[in-house]
Amino acid sequence: MRRPDPKIVRWGILIALLVAWELVPMTGLLPELFLPRLSKTLTVLWIDLDKYWAALLVTLYEVVLAMVIACGLGIVAGATIGGIAVLRDLLLPVFSSLYAVPIVILYPIFTAWFGIGSQSKVMFAGIYGFFPVMLSTAAGIRTIDPQFLLAARSMGATVTQQITKVIIPASLPTVFGGLRLGGALAIIGVIVAEMLTASAGIGYLVTLNRTILDSPRVFAGILCILVLSVAYDIIARRLERRMVVWQSAGRRQQQASPRPIAQGAPAPAAA
Amino acid sequence: MKRWQIILVRMAILALVLGAWELAPRMGFVNPMLLPPLSEVLAMLKTQIARPVVQEAIMITALEVIVAFIIAVPIGAAAGVAIAEFPYAGAIFKPMLFYVFSIPKSIFLPMFILIFGIGFQQKVAYAAFTTAFVVLMSATAAVESVKSDYILVARSFGATPLQILRRVYVPSMMPVLLETLRISMIFNFTGVMIAEMYASRTGIGHLISNWGENFQMPQLFAGVIMLAVVAIAFNETVRFLEARCSTWRT
Amino acid sequence: MQYVADMKAAQTAGAAIDIDRVSHVYAGPEGGVQALSDVSMKVGAGRFIVIVGPSGCGKTSLLMMMAGLRDHTEGRIHVHGAPIPKPDPERVGVIFQEASLFPWLTTFDNIEFPLSLRGMSREERRRRSEPMLSLVGLTGFGERYPHELSGGMKQRVSIARGLVQDPPVLLMDEPFAALDEQTRMTMGHELLRIWSTTNKTVVFITHSLTEAVYLADEVYVMSPRPGRMIDHIMVDLPRPRTYEMMATDTFGRLRDRIWQQIRKSH
Repeated sequence: MRRPDPKIVRWGILIALLVAWELVPMTGLLPELFLPRLSKTLTVLWIDLDKYWAALLVTLYEVVLAMVIACGLGIVAGATIGGIAVLRDLLLPVFSSLYAVPIVILYPIFTAWFGIGSQSKVMFAGIYGFFPVMLSTAAGIRTIDPQFLLAARSMGATVTQQITKVIIPASLPTVFGGLRLGGALAIIGVIVAEMLTASAGIGYLVTLNRTILDSPRVFAGILCILVLSVAYDIIARRLERRMVVWQSAGRRQQQASPRPIAQGAPAPAAA
Repeated sequence: MKRWQIILVRMAILALVLGAWELAPRMGFVNPMLLPPLSEVLAMLKTQIARPVVQEAIMITALEVIVAFIIAVPIGAAAGVAIAEFPYAGAIFKPMLFYVFSIPKSIFLPMFILIFGIGFQQKVAYAAFTTAFVVLMSATAAVESVKSDYILVARSFGATPLQILRRVYVPSMMPVLLETLRISMIFNFTGVMIAEMYASRTGIGHLISNWGENFQMPQLFAGVIMLAVVAIAFNETVRFLEARCSTWRT
Repeated sequence: MQYVADMKAAQTAGAAIDIDRVSHVYAGPEGGVQALSDVSMKVGAGRFIVIVGPSGCGKTSLLMMMAGLRDHTEGRIHVHGAPIPKPDPERVGVIFQEASLFPWLTTFDNIEFPLSLRGMSREERRRRSEPMLSLVGLTGFGERYPHELSGGMKQRVSIARGLVQDPPVLLMDEPFAALDEQTRMTMGHELLRIWSTTNKTVVFITHSLTEAVYLADEVYVMSPRPGRMIDHIMVDLPRPRTYEMMATDTFGRLRDRIWQQIRKSH
């Protein structure tokens, strides 16, 4: 008997989980306090839709700003540090050492400095996303085939032309990867911050409802966040793939050391 | 640039940063209420470490980190190896894992609190939960990184699966394993911190959060420095071990 | 013999490429390394020259110097009577071993790249690149991206790109090395066809002795580092060259002579 298509199995698992979400609390296997029924969660979400929507807007606003910081600074810093050998040797090891420190411990500093409003979230999530994006960009810059510059020079390209017509197009895959990563991390950073200390936003709603033990509303918030992050990921990946159809060609093979977490693939989500 | 030149410049940069931290608040460039001078922070650090409350918090945090790690690693590793070894399982789960990674796992904290209440178990459970995923991903990558060529050669000489495991997989994966553990620990530590800062009555994360809420800036910075130093020290130690183990790799 | 007369004619006409006692020393980890030692070459206009030599002998460096991409510490290099301190794509076209086509550009855009550097208009660029495309036999592939092309096709595009500004001199650094043998032979044949149509001066580097004899009017043999010219062989096979010539005695003798020289120099 042929095995079913993995895609179908995946959807099957997803549907099974949703069904379980509805049935398990109903049968009392788990108390409703731990896991409210899916229908109840959705109902409550519908009732309080305007509240959740307002919170979502606040969160999105913070995410966008944080993303601008994380990606803007991250990509520029990464390209510069990765591209200039001296800076690379000097700074890159320092930054990857700093990566070991849980950035979240800095958050109280941000709230002390910027208050519990949006500003502290934006700053925190911006920094949160900055390091991985920078490291990823720095690594990506190095995969650009140096032959390209040689070929361009042989055709008489000036330095400016080399930058605009070769380096920039060749770094597009890296840049788009950085954008995707930065956005994902911005979302995570903002949510964590909102859950810790905030006055508005989806994360804040979740925490608020937890303290009053309103499980359905807690899970409604969790659902919103799930949808937000998955939707972002899908869109970002699709965009990335479309923008860089030629990605596999023309890049030097990555060397033997696998760095599955820190660079390349999924956004390292510490939260 | 030569090795010693690089180290020298880094030292210089470090000195500059530390110097700025000391002088800027003192000279009024930055509000000393918001950013206490470095010397003050270090003095506070010394004071705090001596306090039993702080020591207890350190113990608790350390325990949480270790226990969570011990739970997460075998589970994550087993799952990761399973996914790598059974391509069908891999085909099903791998795409899902990408999405799992972009989800802020902190949103599940309330769930853990609802189930376990606030306390040791909840924090460990949460940290183990987040870390397990990281271990899973790394384990999968590690197993897949063992070149199929090597395995083929071993098999052609009649090696049993157990022999292949011991004599091809393990040595081949050793440096990657260490790196996996290192990165997993980073996420583990982060998970514990988040849990402690979110809802907890004990632990260093809770202390830091408290100090922040009460605007006790010198204490806050002292705590942050302490944690940063510990994290970096651990990281560099494992890195060093990694380097020793991987002399045979390019 | 005819070829000697041709050679003399070329010399009196003024060499297209004049390399006079070029040496090059570069700074290595343990002091100066002599890359090239007293290399001299005179290449007549319209001739097809091949340089063979072991790896690391400096032939690529020499080519780079002819292209204006690299400096040399001693000696003189003139292309068409003038030195070439920096790249001059209107005088010298360069084709590399890796086609180095920009993956984000279509075939047309890749061929037109040198023209776009000069700010030429789109229509003008297309006017010049289309004949190039058909010259290398790739009509209809203009809108494809490099990742859609085979290795041989990519090299053809690379050649078209090198020719689009109509430079009198073409330098080729092992352009077929990354191709499989059958494609290599086809490409070599194609290259000769293009060359005979356009009458360029070609300097071609290769490891393959067969390729060298098949393509060349003259073969220069280089020694291992520090590179010197240890032999200058005239290939007295008639043109146009055919595959059948590869089986002749003359062919074998010429190839053998190159091989002996290389072996001796080790």
